Amino acid sequence: MNKRDLTRLIKESSVRFLRMQFVDIFGITKNVVIPVAELERALDGRITFDGGSIAGFARSEEVDMMLKPDLNTFTVYPWTTEGETEARLICDIVQSDGEPFEGCPRTTLKRAVAQVHEMGFTLASCVEAEFYIFQRDEQGNPVIGASERGSYFDFSPSDVGEHARRHMVATLETMGFHIASAHHEHGPGQHEIDFKGADALTTADNVVTLRNVVRHLALERDLHATFMAKPLGDSAGSALHIEILLREGERNAFADESGERSLSPTALYFIGGLLAHAPAITAIANPTVNSYKRLVPFWDAPILTVWSERSANSMVRIPSERGDDTRIELRSPDASCNPYLTLAVILAAGLDGIRNELLPGQPLAGSTYDLSERTRTERGIRELPHSLREALVELDRDSVIRGALGDHIYHAFREAKAAEYERYRRAVHPWELEEYLTLH
Amino acid sequence: MTTDELLAFAESLARISAAGGGPKAYASHLAARCGGAVLVEDAEWHHLALAGAGDRSVPATARELVRQAKHEADGLVHLNLQGGSHGIAYPMRAGDAELGWLVVLALDGAAADLAPLVRLTASSIAVDLVREAGGAKGRRRSFWDRLLGGSYDDPAAVRDDAAARGVAVAPSYVAVAVEAEGLDESVATRQLSDVRKLCLAHLHHPSAETVTIERAAGFIFLVPTPLPIDAQNVALAAAMLPKHAAKAKLDISLVGGVGTRADDILETARSVDEAREALVIVRRLFGVSRVGAWEDLGLYPLLHRGATREELQRFADRTLEPLRAYDEKNHTELLRTLTLYFTVRQNVKTASEKLNVHRHTVFYRLRQIAEICNRDLDSAHDQLALRAALAIDALLG
Repeated sequence: MNKRDLTRLIKESSVRFLRMQFVDIFGITKNVVIPVAELERALDGRITFDGGSIAGFARSEEVDMMLKPDLNTFTVYPWTTEGETEARLICDIVQSDGEPFEGCPRTTLKRAVAQVHEMGFTLASCVEAEFYIFQRDEQGNPVIGASERGSYFDFSPSDVGEHARRHMVATLETMGFHIASAHHEHGPGQHEIDFKGADALTTADNVVTLRNVVRHLALERDLHATFMAKPLGDSAGSALHIEILLREGERNAFADESGERSLSPTALYFIGGLLAHAPAITAIANPTVNSYKRLVPFWDAPILTVWSERSANSMVRIPSERGDDTRIELRSPDASCNPYLTLAVILAAGLDGIRNELLPGQPLAGSTYDLSERTRTERGIRELPHSLREALVELDRDSVIRGALGDHIYHAFREAKAAEYERYRRAVHPWELEEYLTLH
Repeated sequence: MTTDELLAFAESLARISAAGGGPKAYASHLAARCGGAVLVEDAEWHHLALAGAGDRSVPATARELVRQAKHEADGLVHLNLQGGSHGIAYPMRAGDAELGWLVVLALDGAAADLAPLVRLTASSIAVDLVREAGGAKGRRRSFWDRLLGGSYDDPAAVRDDAAARGVAVAPSYVAVAVEAEGLDESVATRQLSDVRKLCLAHLHHPSAETVTIERAAGFIFLVPTPLPIDAQNVALAAAMLPKHAAKAKLDISLVGGVGTRADDILETARSVDEAREALVIVRRLFGVSRVGAWEDLGLYPLLHRGATREELQRFADRTLEPLRAYDEKNHTELLRTLTLYFTVRQNVKTASEKLNVHRHTVFYRLRQIAEICNRDLDSAHDQLALRAALAIDALLG
């Protein structure tokens, strides 16, 4: 799409305000709202904002940031805000001199994709996004765990959450999304929406948009949608399963009819790379202290560096389709991750596997939860980090993953997450009070 | 050739020796002096060095050329080559022991004039080889020969001897046997060198060095495998070698076999035997451009070697053990399902009736069985392995 087409579309759609959208290094959506009168300045990339006020973005000497919109991301929101039509453009962050800002997650993913192309591949990815929908109380606060107690609302697949999800899917489709499927998930009030394949940048953009749309539409229905990794202690956490497919020309680079399990050497190396870098990937793909309450041996959450063809709780799974549909699924990322950075580190790990011919051994059959210590040792299987702190240590050790993030994001992310873990460590949690207050 | 010229040549050989020597250095010097291609081979016709080949046609080994030619009383052998060119060969000796041959090929001028230079060079290389036999390379070679020849009966003795010889030994190895098919005689030496490089580029482990042992038509590689998963990865990497060879446009086909992991250093010879046996079976069953693992060949190694009752029983146990373990742990009946499936001639409907389950359950179990046993139930080879294991188990178990 070019500027003229976009200007025409904005006029035809009677758009009043334009949201210049971007994400911080934690994947949280930020935006600068401008009236359409400022459109030309926006399209020329002359909208500035104070980078110093965004966590992890700027050091003191580079406060002024500019928004460089990706015109292909233009979307008119299918709702109005106080009667006004709004649209959005997803932007890259650039420095005041127009140079790419190394703290921009979208630019980081573009860099990883460029490496994919340099190695002669093109990429398609798709995601399965899980989330919870909760009721709100009279003050508008989410009522967490209500359904388990059975005293508030029953979130069966025919309940209000189901209707909300259908509305979300319909809305996303009017925004041009290709939804593969949507369904109720294991947890009470838990749902999943699956996208069809797209390039990596579009996939990450879609995840961010999905989160915004789902939360917005839930709010419209007086509900609360959350992509927190593990909102309910005794139910499944919310994953962001990511599938990758590489092509070499027209050919699926992961497929080889004569290969081991009809997988090409490239596929095996990519899997080997994912397994080798899994602990460090976890810091990015499971970025909160809460993420590690999902990575426990229940509800098919992955806990080990294992690949499999059918095991639902393996970290890497190869869906049964072969030939042109052969793809590799990473099941460890959770719904709260920054999709740009997560895709960037996944690609970096896979490409490192291809470059260094890292092989993954034979796939595991059956559940990974009851593997003996001996089997784990013999197969070189490692546990995924148990905490954000452990994951950050693994990130420190992994130069490939750090390299994919770039120095700026690595240091900013690490510093912020170490502080987050420290706050968590110092806090006294309700469980501790319940367990010890009367005991001691 | 004048005395001065001869003296100058002898002096240059001495300078090469003083600088460290080596068959390649001597061969290069002689090739530059005579304008031909110089090939150096040991007493077992293993390649030691080649120099001055350029675009010339040089055979992989001069064994047949030397054997078929007339040997002079002084040891000199005159070679008549295709295309009208000729060559000479001279044995490298230490006392009465023949250490190998120095062969000069593709000579256009008079071979007789070069005979003194060839004899002097052969003597220099012989001195070098004798010295080298006591050197690091010779010590390494004799260590691996002794290990694979069964000269040790105690792992501690292996490690002590390796340390004394300056050989670094990994705790465990997997053997990969590789041979090249379709070698072009004229460039065979270079092709084999390319094969060796290609294999070493893909068969390695960061923990230790991969050992290369040259064999007449190919190589045995001993790849370090600290963990069982490393052995799986060696088998995967070896299976990809024919594709890598095709991608590298080597213009040859590779055939090979992979042994099982030697948990104990003394079992390395067993892994080598398995790798060579797998290579023979793969070549007969599948032709070229394939490297197969001994472990995946199922019944064939047993048929090939004429297995004993104990070996048959071990094969059945090894094949069925994963299913037994899974059944025991998960209270399933996968082994019974597999047995029945074959008994009813792979009729899923009949099997489901006899098992009193829905046919979808039978399909599900068959997928589980294939995954757990790492076998493809649609493959005739894998079916044979499973059927044979069940039959042996019923007969001998």
